[in-house]
Amino acid sequence: METGRAILVDITKCIGCRSCEQACKEAHGFPKETEAHLSPTALTVIEERGDKYVRKMCMHCQDPACASACLVGALKKTSAGPVTYDGTKCIGCRYCLVACPFSVPRYEWSKLVPYVKKCDMCAARQAKGAPPACVEACPTGASIVGDRAEMLEEAERRILAGGYVKHIYGSEEAGGTSVFFISDVPFEKLGFVAAPTQPLPTLTANALGDVPTVVLVGGALLSGLYWITQRRAEVTATETNAVRTNETERRQS
Amino acid sequence: MTPTLPRLTLWRAIVAAIFAVGLYATYARFFLGFQKATNLTDPQPWGLWVGLGTLCGVGLSAGGFAIAAAVYLLGFERYRPVLRAAVLVSFLGYSSVIAGMMYELGLPWRIWHPIVMWNRHSVLFEVSWCVMLYSTVLALEFSPALVEKIPFVHLRTWYLKWHHEVLVGLVMIGVVLSSLHQSFLGALYLMAKGKLYPLWYSPYLTTLFYLSAIPAGLAVTIMALYLCIRSLNVKLDTAILSELSRVIAPMLALYGVFRFVDLSKNGALAYLWMWREETLSFWLEIALLVAAPLFLLTREKVRNNPQYLYWTCSIVAAGFMTNRLNVSITGLQASSGVYYIPKWPEFACTLATLTAAVLAFRYAVMYLDILPKNAPKPTWMVKGTVAHA
Repeated sequence: METGRAILVDITKCIGCRSCEQACKEAHGFPKETEAHLSPTALTVIEERGDKYVRKMCMHCQDPACASACLVGALKKTSAGPVTYDGTKCIGCRYCLVACPFSVPRYEWSKLVPYVKKCDMCAARQAKGAPPACVEACPTGASIVGDRAEMLEEAERRILAGGYVKHIYGSEEAGGTSVFFISDVPFEKLGFVAAPTQPLPTLTANALGDVPTVVLVGGALLSGLYWITQRRAEVTATETNAVRTNETERRQS
Repeated sequence: MTPTLPRLTLWRAIVAAIFAVGLYATYARFFLGFQKATNLTDPQPWGLWVGLGTLCGVGLSAGGFAIAAAVYLLGFERYRPVLRAAVLVSFLGYSSVIAGMMYELGLPWRIWHPIVMWNRHSVLFEVSWCVMLYSTVLALEFSPALVEKIPFVHLRTWYLKWHHEVLVGLVMIGVVLSSLHQSFLGALYLMAKGKLYPLWYSPYLTTLFYLSAIPAGLAVTIMALYLCIRSLNVKLDTAILSELSRVIAPMLALYGVFRFVDLSKNGALAYLWMWREETLSFWLEIALLVAAPLFLLTREKVRNNPQYLYWTCSIVAAGFMTNRLNVSITGLQASSGVYYIPKWPEFACTLATLTAAVLAFRYAVMYLDILPKNAPKPTWMVKGTVAHA
């Protein structure tokens, strides 16, 4: 699936002005105080790593672990690119928090009616043709948005031009995401997790694929066992009866 | 007469205290919120309520399906006297799991959502359906014990006749459902690849969860039966207990072998001797769940002594709980960077739920025909609460 929109973050261009944070907070109506880490009221934050600024946000995986984990299907990967969250379905089990390989989703622990909060790449804005608020606010072009294939090409072009680590973070992490990072410093030094390269839902798909087999084979096996047990009981009963009849006949004769 | 009176009040007081504290903790959870009532955080979103309440609750309630299968499908008639008790233990176990869900879910009034909102790619969806269906199966399997007490003869005979006809089918469905969700509880953590510590992450978490649940469920059944004999005037040949225990050792041995083969296949053997907290937790788990029970249960002296057997079974249950808490809490510490210790309301809610289940079991055994009974000896009943609580 190469369709849909994607965000490319060029860490070399980020000056740490936090315009993206503020724009995100404004777009969602959150309080404006700067926060150090992702939270229910900070869906993207700039983290300082040495002299670099690293933007944290939902990676919008191509095959998201959260969406496959969610038992009521509140989280969905849309063909437009964003992974969206439908709060009206959510039951608050928080399996998405456990499943996310990037540990992105936040929970409203302080609220009595808590929901999951995470970046939705401004799906509503993008549907109207506007870029995500954070990208629009970026004064240096460190964050840009476009079609996923285009963004990958652009990232490759910049890496080939030189000055970058030869890896597009997000091109293979978790089977590919819709948010890419390029950097001149190795990603592990910037706190990026070495996420598994396969799409995480494949890990559980195998187990789930076994369900029909378990039901059919298990059902057949159990029925067979029951039949044998019944048959044994019948044979024992008939034999006892036969012995008894023989004895009665002998006594009578 | 007088010596029994203070003990009675003491244990009633303890139960009352558990409920009072549990009630306040319930208030804290629902009216003050997760943040005040728990130490759950974004990096550790599942804590004691999932680790102990759900994973251990479901696993330790596996005795019912195992014994029902043994009696109805394999024809082991010698276990029939304990069948009802085993099914009741499981039913109350699942009931407390569902009650625990009400605390654990952020929006518990939406617990019915999975019935109408489906995501068949979700392991948790499968688990929730299996638990719903299997709880229903257990309720139906147990229902004759209640229906028998209905004073209307026609209704009673009609129900029991109908029940008798579908019973074997129910048991089979129960075995399939149990096998699915017992193993799928492990599959929940397949998604945590890269997050779960290598001593616990395995592509065969499903098999490991299944193999460990059956012996642990049987151990809990034995414990419950022993307490019934000791405290509730139940007349039961203790030979049944030692017979049940014979099954546990080979199952735990199989689990142990599978566990170590699996660790070596995952290349996790190097982690066995690292100087870390995880290593300690791992060996504690192996000692309690595999080594100690195997040593004890292969001794005839232990198997044939109900009291020794009781304590051995409690070691098995403790080992099982260590394993589930390791998977759900200890194993995630390193990657989350959070050292989670449950806040007291988390303990209090779980303890209150468990106590309610134990009390329900006690009264069911006392007032329904669950197990054959001796002539009543009221002084012993006091001890029942002691040992249970």
